[in-house]
Amino acid sequence: MYRVNPIALWGIFAVALVVACAWSLVTGALHIPSRELVAVLKQGLGFSAAEPVPLHLEITLLQIRLPRLVMALLVGAALALSGAAIQGLFRNPLADPGLIGVSSGAALGAVSIIVLGDTLFSSWVWLSGRWALPIAAFVASLITTLVIYRIATRSGYTQVATLLLAGIAINAIAGAATGLLTFIADDSELRSITFWSMGSLTQSSWQDVAAMLPFILIPLLLLPLFAPALNGFLMGEAVAEHLGFPIRWVKRCIILLTAMAVGAAVAFSGVIGFLGLVVPHLLRLVIGPDHRLLLPASALCGALLLTVADMFARTVVAPAELPIGLIMAIIGGPFFLALLLSPALKPGGVA
Amino acid sequence: MLRTENLRISLTNKRITDKRTTTPHLVENVSLAFNPGELTLILGANGAGKSTLLNALAGTRVRHPALQQQGRVTLDNQDLAQFPAKALARRRAVMPQQVQLDFPFKVHEVIAMGRSPYGMDSQSQRITDQAMALLEVDHLQHRDYPSLSGGEQQRVQLARVLAQIWPHGDKPRPQADHEAGHTKRHRVLLLDECTSALDPAHQHQVLDIIKQFTTPDVISCAVLHDLPLAARYGDRVILMKQGRVIADGTPRQVLTADNLAATYDLRTRILQHQEVDHPIIVGLGRATHRGLP
Repeated sequence: MYRVNPIALWGIFAVALVVACAWSLVTGALHIPSRELVAVLKQGLGFSAAEPVPLHLEITLLQIRLPRLVMALLVGAALALSGAAIQGLFRNPLADPGLIGVSSGAALGAVSIIVLGDTLFSSWVWLSGRWALPIAAFVASLITTLVIYRIATRSGYTQVATLLLAGIAINAIAGAATGLLTFIADDSELRSITFWSMGSLTQSSWQDVAAMLPFILIPLLLLPLFAPALNGFLMGEAVAEHLGFPIRWVKRCIILLTAMAVGAAVAFSGVIGFLGLVVPHLLRLVIGPDHRLLLPASALCGALLLTVADMFARTVVAPAELPIGLIMAIIGGPFFLALLLSPALKPGGVA
Repeated sequence: MLRTENLRISLTNKRITDKRTTTPHLVENVSLAFNPGELTLILGANGAGKSTLLNALAGTRVRHPALQQQGRVTLDNQDLAQFPAKALARRRAVMPQQVQLDFPFKVHEVIAMGRSPYGMDSQSQRITDQAMALLEVDHLQHRDYPSLSGGEQQRVQLARVLAQIWPHGDKPRPQADHEAGHTKRHRVLLLDECTSALDPAHQHQVLDIIKQFTTPDVISCAVLHDLPLAARYGDRVILMKQGRVIADGTPRQVLTADNLAATYDLRTRILQHQEVDHPIIVGLGRATHRGLP
């Protein structure tokens, strides 16, 4: 199958990302002329501006849009990169990070706080304040992943098939618990649950970015190091071991790093589906399955896609906002279907 | 030298072990020494423990939790369990019975993966090309691997495996090796039914290549089912039954009608022909008949 030259692809991505970032900063309910954007950026870099920028524009840019943009970039990169890594580990292009329990665990954590925050967990909410929900979602997602991982690991050997089956069972249990909480929730809580489960970047402040940053940056920097091992994994664990990869260590690291990245992303922005599944899949059609290219390209493409989607989410029904999870599904679903149906781009060999 | 010392591999899981069977051992007390420069062929009925033995010879550490291994496997007097994973991968390559790869890697990328124990090595490109040329798969190099036929995939896998322990030919060995009085560092090639999907001509081609590859510093060991090929290409043949070695020697010594009857429950006739200097084995049928009920 024909492949795009990776250097050309990096170029396209880099240009597209810069354009998308700039565009997303100037558009919104309040239009900011690009002249002012440049002036604010100059100021930020220490140059003195020719004429001062109006304060309300500067605050909108630096305190509202910029943190939200950074959030979109980080969450998008984290979801797409984790998707690529998990698909490689499971040797399955249809796998997604939700399989190892991250999403259902996070959902249970979030819904518990929404529904029981004023009764059972009131002291916790009082202690952790505005971060009660993200922390609970993150911790719950990590616990779920660890439980599934423990079940699938016997005497140091992780059976990937068992991991998948255990994931299905634990996901069902967590889903039932979430359903039970939804059942006893009142109307306003139901609304919060719905909103959270459709994903949103509305609440993105610099504090949120700072709190999330380490949990996303560490996987973002470390996961690409496992690219050669993931290539070996695609031929089976035995082959990977015979090629000299420390496969126990690799499996453990990949599961923990993806759980960390996805857990943090879901904790702060709710459930944003589709990205982790489809971005790696699309890129594999274009640049091939080599993880040394695929992992960084997925991160870049995920960041780009979520930035664009968030721009739509903010502007389509402005001043109201659409949940970004919906936007992803509305744009991405038909696009992906068209791609599958187009005869030129049959996913070769991936049955 | 690759050695096994009292190697015993057994199933510990009670659910898997059938209580009625007398022996849960897949490999029973096997002590063997594999010599450099020799192609050793392991033959035996299905389930005789050939692949299990080969896996142990490979020093595979991550195995099914129900499998328990006792005894040692050593390469040049060093326990395989003590080799660092990467160092072992540079000296020992394994071709499994089946490699399932559903992702659309190009053929040359699959072969280049054989070089992954070496990191970014300037020689890797050259070695990948040479391995492709040796197996005559260079015309397939830009094809997607999953689109190849079973036999083509097998030859590509063999090229990958050979590339992993390719001789660093035109580079002289580091002097320090000899000065320190080290014994030679042997490389190990392990193959599990590497001809199962090949047509007759390619079966001969592949075994010919393996023979050429088995230079005096290479220890080769292959599991094989084809008796005529074994007689033609084996320097040494080992017959296994129920986890034990029941015959070991040159093809002429080992491949006798009596031994084959004991190993396989097979009636054979061993012939000689003046054009070839190895025994010709003709299978006649099963020794015992059970017929339809």
